[in-house]
Order: sequence, then structure tokens, then C-alpha cells
Amino acid sequence: MKKILWRIMVTLPILWLSLGVITANADTVVVQCPGDTNGDGVSEDPNIVCMHISGGDGFSRMGDGKDLYGFSFGLVPAGTAPGAVLANMGLKARFPAPTIVLKEGQEFYLTMTNVGMVMRPDLFDPHSVHWHGFPQAAPIFDGLPEPSPTANMGASYTYYYYAAVPGTYFWHCHVEAAEHMQMGMIGNAYILPAQNELPNGTDLNGFNHQTGYKYVYNDGDGSTKYDVEYLLQFTGFDSLFHEAHIAVQPLPFAAMHDNYPMINGRGYPDTINPDPILNQEGFGAQHMSALISAETGQKILLRVSNVSTTHIYSFTTTLGVPLNVIGRGAALLRGPTGKDTSMQLSVLTVGGGQMFDVILDTTGVPAGTYFLYARDMGNLSNGDEERGGIMTEIVLTNP
Amino acid sequence: MKHRLRILQAVLIFGVMLFLGSVVISHAMIDGCQSTSFNLVAKQGHILTSDGDSMLMWGYALESGCPGESPVKHPAGVMLYPGPTMILNEGDTVTVTLKNELPQQAGNVSIVFPGHKVTASGGVPGLLTREAPPDGATTATYVFTATEPGTYLYRSGTRPDLQVEMGLVGAIIVRPSLGPLYAYNHLDTEFGHEYLYIITEMDPSIHRQVEMGQWAFIDTTSYFATNWFVNGRNFPDLMADPFVPWLLTQPYNCQPRMHVGDKTLIRLVGAGRDLHPMHLHGNDFETIAADGRMLSSGGGAGPDLAWKATTIRTIPGQTADVMWSWTGEGIGWDIYGHSGGEVHPAGAPGEGIVICNSYVPGNPTTYFDPYNNEYCPDHGVPFPVILPPRDAVTYGAFYSGSPFLGGQGELPPGHAGLNAAGGFFYMWHSHTEKELTSNDIWPGGLVTFMIVEPAGVDIP
Repeated sequence: MKKILWRIMVTLPILWLSLGVITANADTVVVQCPGDTNGDGVSEDPNIVCMHISGGDGFSRMGDGKDLYGFSFGLVPAGTAPGAVLANMGLKARFPAPTIVLKEGQEFYLTMTNVGMVMRPDLFDPHSVHWHGFPQAAPIFDGLPEPSPTANMGASYTYYYYAAVPGTYFWHCHVEAAEHMQMGMIGNAYILPAQNELPNGTDLNGFNHQTGYKYVYNDGDGSTKYDVEYLLQFTGFDSLFHEAHIAVQPLPFAAMHDNYPMINGRGYPDTINPDPILNQEGFGAQHMSALISAETGQKILLRVSNVSTTHIYSFTTTLGVPLNVIGRGAALLRGPTGKDTSMQLSVLTVGGGQMFDVILDTTGVPAGTYFLYARDMGNLSNGDEERGGIMTEIVLTNP
Repeated sequence: MKHRLRILQAVLIFGVMLFLGSVVISHAMIDGCQSTSFNLVAKQGHILTSDGDSMLMWGYALESGCPGESPVKHPAGVMLYPGPTMILNEGDTVTVTLKNELPQQAGNVSIVFPGHKVTASGGVPGLLTREAPPDGATTATYVFTATEPGTYLYRSGTRPDLQVEMGLVGAIIVRPSLGPLYAYNHLDTEFGHEYLYIITEMDPSIHRQVEMGQWAFIDTTSYFATNWFVNGRNFPDLMADPFVPWLLTQPYNCQPRMHVGDKTLIRLVGAGRDLHPMHLHGNDFETIAADGRMLSSGGGAGPDLAWKATTIRTIPGQTADVMWSWTGEGIGWDIYGHSGGEVHPAGAPGEGIVICNSYVPGNPTTYFDPYNNEYCPDHGVPFPVILPPRDAVTYGAFYSGSPFLGGQGELPPGHAGLNAAGGFFYMWHSHTEKELTSNDIWPGGLVTFMIVEPAGVDIP
């Protein structure tokens, strides 16, 4: 019975959309992907990357088992027929949103289809994509609702980015940002440097580049080389805000205060679960684990960001080695004349909207299980449940 | 028909601005009181918040206005939130006097000047400095020499948990001896425009208790801010002009504007009690100084320890100076919508010369057009996508109807049309996004917009 009710609620807004209130029908789902000659959503030009996402709603399961209603973006499988997007993508929001990974110099066509909010058919919110920290952005692709158009329900908007500057970014919806970001419309993004693609044996000021070496930035000396990388996106949910939302109540902006701190949309111990976390619909909305594993002696890159609408977080690890902060805000920590301004810290504070690149050098650290956790310890909880929140494990094994 | 008229109107306005702008090279400078003598009075007054409320504040008033100011901008004897921005020159010896006209229950009032060596006299002794008792007559005097250029703040040093919250705070700018268009005594700190961001927050319950005389109930330990300010105003009030009569007690605005390629200095002041991660859209910035000291390795070097980012935490009591610019470099399409071959328009610099005609691929010194700073490798590169039809999208009030700088487009009926010149608007805001509200009302609070204006639009 409950399932049937869900189905009706899923189909109602789609029916409403297809009745043409905003001239929305299957034809309005337009994916722009230059070089895609066979319509599979993938460009045949290797320098062009295409991605199709949906903007809508869904549920996430918190670390204490509570399902919270949210908004976010879903990943439309490449090659999905335009007519199937609105029908298939209801309640398929992922938390966090799909991750964007590009190589420096690539062109990126990101199409966002606003599939409407299944559980809030009374709303008519547009959605947008704001690539946070993107240098030399233009308003038309900046996703701000004030100086640009934003896609209404049923519409598709293609954003274009030329990946000029490598580094760690993130992205989110900027429509009514306090609400839409609190509801979960946030995701990871990063651009890999051209230095990764150099020919084998290239000399970088005395550092010998080998094919397969990975760097965070075009450092020119190999100083940002790492072995394994992990995304750590800090955020939080205020459960009262989410509960008021699905109950169609006035939203408590002034009282907003996150009580479910999370990494990659999960509170510990879900952070170490390698599998998707299934929500009440049986959908794995929370697709990202935050488990960090490496071999002893490896350099671990952490791409850290904070997208909380209420909190600034500080974190540390039990590894006993410093957090080597080599990048901040998608820029190598070097002064304008090249002076090294990187930082060796034991605790890193990450404000909302900040991104950092941190390298953990595990040389000399014995194999074992270690912790990465919020040093502001009030954030080690899942709602009322203690020993949760912003904590994950670093598992070091012998090679 | 109506929208056609509007387009025509916009084009005409733009043409006039193009003409005017071609003869004026201006530098936006921070509004404040340039003097070496400030006679301040702590007073009560009300401010307007963008949620439609009126809040009681305590602030520093200029007893008889800003000395020598012509034309007169700062009102005399009016509570100001924040206090008057003191514009000083390096080496100035400054005398600040303070009287206290606050209610008896407010107690004594004082001023501290973090980062300056102050000699205090008069008044009555206090814990941190000399204080002015609430008798409306006794004067405390503070004297200091502005030895180091930079951005500073001043605030009450008496019961600051209450008095700073109530509004007794302001900014100080010390201009270097090198000249007013430099942040510090180094050529690399030159700027074209400067803007001030004094960031504060408010717990309205405290202000209501003060107004109602419920002195026994005031508890600053359970503080919970629900409103946020830049230069004493919320969004969108901070976009209005400075010194408007309907915001008499909130004289300062925050409306940064610049042209393509200009260097803009932003002076950030964490004047309240919370941290706020301020995020700049559009491009990354360089933090060149903190707490009135250039981030430099010394020995005559410039800000060689500057760091780039797009978000900076303003820390309570701390100041920071960041430099920002925007050219659209590497954007991958022509921001003007040119198809190539266009000439600089009549009346503009480079009139009649083909745009980017000196561009040589592979030679970075030729990458920017000398007249309008256009990034030439993208000159004439077509716009990469087809935008959705107008009825499939919602147009923001600052959207010109065109994706191009200086562009115009058809706007739907009822659109506010607040971007007649086709500028690029970039939100500069707190990324603790909750703070984009004013007392439960979205939008408000810590939101500002930088406008990158097309060439020809004059920036006052």
C-alpha cells in the first residue's frame, strides 16, 4: 500500500509537468554534447566530457538509521532516452551529488535537468549548478539565480566549463542556497593537472617524472606527488529543517543548526562502509564511502572541502604525522614569486566554502587502523547518538 | 512592444554611459572621515534591517560631523552603525575624544585601537583603558600615531560582550606614504578600486531587552546570532548608495564595481564575535595582508607570502586585505559575443582599432587587448551552448537577458531589469549559507555583489 502511494506521488508531478504548464514534455530534455555522434551521451572527442544530471529530491539514511528528506542531483545514465529522464529520475537524488573529475584542458558540458520535487509537488523551485571556486567564471555558467537564468522544472540547462586550472573544487545548487544546500545539493569536483600527462622521464627541476605519477598541481618539482587520493567533503544536516520541509512547514532559517555532521554524506560508522547506503526506497543515494586505505609508506592525498551551511569544522588524525597542507582554494600554496607557503599542521580548520589539499606521508607509520576525526568533538555524533559524525578510518596495510 | 522599448532605453543609457565613461578614469575609494581629530559620542539610535525590522543600537556618533568634510556627508550628532570609518595617513598623530550619552544602565564606554600604541587620558579609569561615564559631559581622550599602513578596527573596551554587540565598533584605514592608491608601501600593492567589508552579526533578543529596559535578563553567554551585516547594512540595503537619508544611522554601503582587468582591494574586518567564511565568486583572490601587516618575507620584498583562494575566514578581531581581479582569461568563449573583426567603438579608448589586432598566438605579452583588457585567445570564439528557451528558465533580477558582457536581451514582462548595462554580477558572501538571511527571512544578511562593468560604464 505504501509503495502504491509512493508511485502515485512520483507520477503526479510528472503528469503535471507533461501537461505543459511550462511547456515541459519529453522534447525539452535536451542534452548538449558536442562530438556525440551516436547519441549515447558520450562525446567521441576525447577532449570533451559530457555529464547529464537531474536536480530533484530524495532520501538519505543517517548514521543512526533515521531517513531524512533532501534535495540533490542524480546521475542520469549515459544514453537514457530523453523521454525517460523525468519518469526515471524521480527520488533518485544522490547525496553527495555525482563527483566531477576532469583533466586540465578538457571541455566539460554538464546538462542539468530539473526533474521536480516528488515529495513537494507544491514547490516550483528552479535548480542550478554553481562550480564553487571556478576561476574566471562568467555569470551565465556560475549558477547564481540572481544574475543568470536557472532551469525551471522540466527544463534542461547545459553548463560549459573549460578546465583551465587544476585543483580541488566542489559544486552545489545556488538557488535559495541556504535552503537547497542545507537540503543536500552539494557535490565534489576536481581537475587533474597537465603535469600528470608528461612523457616518461621528463625532468622537473631535478625530479624525474615517470608515466603514471600523479600530482595535485603543476608544481614543476614533483612536490605534490601522491599515491592514493580520497575526497572528504564535510557537511551537516539539521534534522529539524529537513523534517519541517517534508511536513510542508515554514522553514526554520534562523534556528538552523546542523546536528548530523557528515563526511561525504555519511556519519561514522557509515563512513567506513564501502557499499552504498540504502534509503527507505531501497535506493543507494549515499554512494560515497569515506574509508581511507593505503599501503604503509604511501602518500595519501585528501581533497578536503566544507559545504555546511552552519558549521566550521576542524579535523585531525591519529597517524602521528602532520597534515601537509599543499593547496588551498584550488591553488598551490606558493606565493606570487614562488615562495613555499605550505603548512605542516596537526589540526586543519575548514570553513564553509573552503577547499584544501592535504598530503599524509605514511612513511614510518606501522600498519594498522587509524582515525581521522573532527577535533571539535561536538561533531562526533549522529543526532543524539554519540560516537558518530565526522570520523572515518585510515587503514594502512603492509605492501 | 514594452520590452522593445526597454531594450531601446537600455541601449540609450548604455550609449550615454559609454560617452561619459570614455573621459573619466576614476578610482572607487572607501567612504569615511579623513581627519586627525575625531570627537565621538556614544549614543543610542535605531537601524533598519532588511527583514523590515527596526533595531536599537549603540554607536559612535561624530559630535559635530567630520571636520573639514566638503560636501558634508556624515551627519553630526547621529548614532552611526558602524562608527565612522577613520581614514588616516601614515604618520598622522590622531586625537579621538569620547563622551557618553548612553543610558545609565549601559555604564561606562571606551575605545580600544588594537594594533596601535595609544595614550589615554581624561575620563575615569577602566580595566583596559580610560572610560567615559554616562553623564554626557566627561571626556576621555585617546591619542595615537598611525605608524603602520593597513586596515584596523576600533571598538569599545568596556563590557565588550554587550557593547560591541550593540554596535560600538568601526574601522580604521591607514594609507601608506607611497600614496593613496597603494595598500602598503610597496608597488605590488597598487589597486584601482577599494571596498570595505566590516562584518558583524546580531542577536536581536539582546537589542530588544535593552530597548525594553530588561537589564536583568540580558545574557550574552546564550548568544545566538540571527542577523548579519556588512558595513552595518543587510542585503539588499547594502546595494543602495552611501549616505542615503532613509538610512541615516547606516551611512555606508557595500557595492563593489570595477572594469575588466582592474585590480580591486577588499579590506575585510571581522568586527563581531563569530567567524564568517567569505567567498568571492568569479575568480580567486590573493590575500596580501593580515592585521595591518603585509604578508611579506621582508627585506623590501612585496607581498611574496600572499596566498590565493576563493574563500577566507574572517576571524573575530582580525583584518585582512585581499586583491581581486577578473578578465575572463581562459573561459573558452568570447565574453562580448564578438565574432572577430570588430573595432573599438566610437568614444572608447582605441576608437576605430580592430580589437585584439596585436594578438600573436604563443606570445603571452599580447594576450590582452591594450584598450579593453579582453583576453584575445578567446576573441571571436563562439558561445559554446544553446541556452534554454525563455519560458523554460527563471531570469534573476540582475540578468541582462544576454550571457555577454555589456549585452542586452529580451526580458520577460515584469522583470525588474536591474542590469541595464549588461554587467557581470558576482556574489561575494558568507559561505555559512545560513547567514544569507536576515532574522529568518531569505535573502538578506551577508550577501553582496561585485559588478564587473563593461567598458564605458563610469564607476564613481
